[in-house]
Amino acid sequence: MDWDQFDLNPKTIAALKKADIKSVKEVLNLSGADLQRLMKLSSADIQCLLKTVSHTLRRNSMLTALQLYQDKDHFTSQHQKLSLGCSVLDNLLKGGIPLVGITELAGESSAGKTQISLQLCLCVQYPYKYGGLESGAVYICTEDVFPSKRLQQLIDQQHKLRADVPAEIIQKIRFGNSIFVEQAADLDTFQQCITRRLSLLLARGMVRLVVIDSIAALFRCEFGPAQAALKARYLQTFGAQLHSLSTRFRTPIMCVNQVWDQTASYSTGTGSRVTPALGITWANQLLMRLMVSRVSLPRHSPGAASHCAGSMRTLNVIFAPHLPPSFCYYTVQLEGVRGIK
Amino acid sequence: MQREVGTLPLAPALRARLAAAGFQTAQELLDTGPCGLSKEIGISREEALEALQVVRQECQGDAARTAGGSGATRKCTALELLEEEQTQGFIITFCSALDNILGGGVQLTKITEICGAPGVGKTQLCMQLAVDVQIPECFGGVAGEAVFIDTEGSFMVDRVVDIAAACVQHCHLIAEAQQEEDLRKALETFSLENILSHIYYFRCRDYTELLAQVYLLPEFLSEHSKVRLVVIDGIAFPFRHDFEDLSLRTRLLNGLAQQLIIIANDHKSAVVLTNQMTTRIGQSQSTLVPALGESWGHAATVRLILHWDNSQRLATLYKSPSQKESTIAYHITSHGFRDVQPPAVTHSTEGTELNPRKRPRTEEGKQ
Repeated sequence: MDWDQFDLNPKTIAALKKADIKSVKEVLNLSGADLQRLMKLSSADIQCLLKTVSHTLRRNSMLTALQLYQDKDHFTSQHQKLSLGCSVLDNLLKGGIPLVGITELAGESSAGKTQISLQLCLCVQYPYKYGGLESGAVYICTEDVFPSKRLQQLIDQQHKLRADVPAEIIQKIRFGNSIFVEQAADLDTFQQCITRRLSLLLARGMVRLVVIDSIAALFRCEFGPAQAALKARYLQTFGAQLHSLSTRFRTPIMCVNQVWDQTASYSTGTGSRVTPALGITWANQLLMRLMVSRVSLPRHSPGAASHCAGSMRTLNVIFAPHLPPSFCYYTVQLEGVRGIK
Repeated sequence: MQREVGTLPLAPALRARLAAAGFQTAQELLDTGPCGLSKEIGISREEALEALQVVRQECQGDAARTAGGSGATRKCTALELLEEEQTQGFIITFCSALDNILGGGVQLTKITEICGAPGVGKTQLCMQLAVDVQIPECFGGVAGEAVFIDTEGSFMVDRVVDIAAACVQHCHLIAEAQQEEDLRKALETFSLENILSHIYYFRCRDYTELLAQVYLLPEFLSEHSKVRLVVIDGIAFPFRHDFEDLSLRTRLLNGLAQQLIIIANDHKSAVVLTNQMTTRIGQSQSTLVPALGESWGHAATVRLILHWDNSQRLATLYKSPSQKESTIAYHITSHGFRDVQPPAVTHSTEGTELNPRKRPRTEEGKQ
């Protein structure tokens, strides 16, 4: 750390070098009294040092809420969201998936989580005008093999799903080229994947969506009840790393999660008998939680029966800082996931 | 000045030398002068000059303080403190039940901690407070500004716009009902843009940035003297990973708490922190407890725990120096934080003290 470039008294700089303090982080990790002792300076000098160092770290970091609200820039605006490709689903989410933060999609098996994830991988490649981010996606598979046949079906049918987009724009996008598939069946491989591959792809601007299908599978076999603390540490570390990547590159992270039976002695607010896996440790890392489930509607329900080729599903918003708890129905068609009004 | 040498803010080594040479009061130092000082204790003339400058500044500071200004060593009676506290404003939450159990609302000059599971409404309450702190005095508010330090990225400005619009609407209704001139005048400056422009937003991505930001807060608050609320949402997130050395974490959190207490007092602001919950495995079952450990529990003056009871949201006042422990129910609507029922329906004297579960079944049926 080159202390000479800081706006400090030469005496302070000399003391820093002598005390072998190498980074801003080290300075802030020590208390005022510790710094005084280590560097043999007066408290006024130490206060000055702390303020200067903090200023350098936090230069120009204030925004007013009005500036946030009026920011229309594609890259920085909070209004920019990743569309799901269907106006009904986008309305439920007030625009789509937020760009910064971890969004979870939980549900029982075959409820439609992978379908929605694949759809997102295609939606992200559209121009900003059509709700995309003009970039690719990374799909990290942790248990099943990547459903490439289904992806190809969806690509072929994009013109049908996205009737709002002119055909020539759809034709220009090489969907298959921008989806990077990674396999990570255990924790170490997953860790490597996040810290190396993912940061590389994000830094090069090649992807602006990360899908992890699923996060629960990584933790299913390896941890017994006695290792709860270790499991919690892993979850917190992954959560923090993903969160940090998401913030740095303004990239949404979609984590698919499984559900297990509700056995907690404390109430979790939803009335359902299943709850997303991995407990409160994982839930604390999330910005937004969505749940999907299959629902069997009575045969005579008007309108709905005529839409579905299969059964109806619901997409529930469990919690989000900007959305009320709400839900909508959707079906899985050949061309993709479509909401039902 | 009769200030003792040991209390002056000089380097410890220098103080030791002065004590060894026999200097006892600041006046003796000033009388000796820089040349004499440098000869007596064997330091260079520059160092002696610097030391004397510090001493002179301290003595001037002392004089200003004893002349009656407020400072770090002010003395006053408990009666004066009581009177001051009673005139202190509260930041209302728009949920009258919650305001009641808090004794009027979120108190200025105190640290309030809001704990809860994800999704229960901590960030919503913080956003509500950031809007409510700006309510003009004639409507019962403190007419302040807000600092919002976000560590999780959960500050969604669209939601703040909804809450602020509802608050402005509410004040307009009051002004129309009461038809008073000063209310209408106050509303001219209480608009959506104004509210948004007085919420100062800082995004901290790790604990180092958070520590740096808190070091810079006193200066920011001196420049923006109308700030009456500092929110840190959430305090737990940056501290719950990345710490091999938990004693470092405890030390940093304690330091942070001390700085926040000083900020709350010096700038007459409320400090609101949000904390996560973690499971504590007990004998037969697991319970949710606030994160960051037992020692962190001492940092906040007032602790509020938000939790669920089936699908009803409840707030429990868990720790307060002046109010008793109680639980109330609340709702989060599109307008923000609100009561479960309009206040007119509940029995005004006993409604806030009864546990909502004990309210007669008929009232719940009416909802």
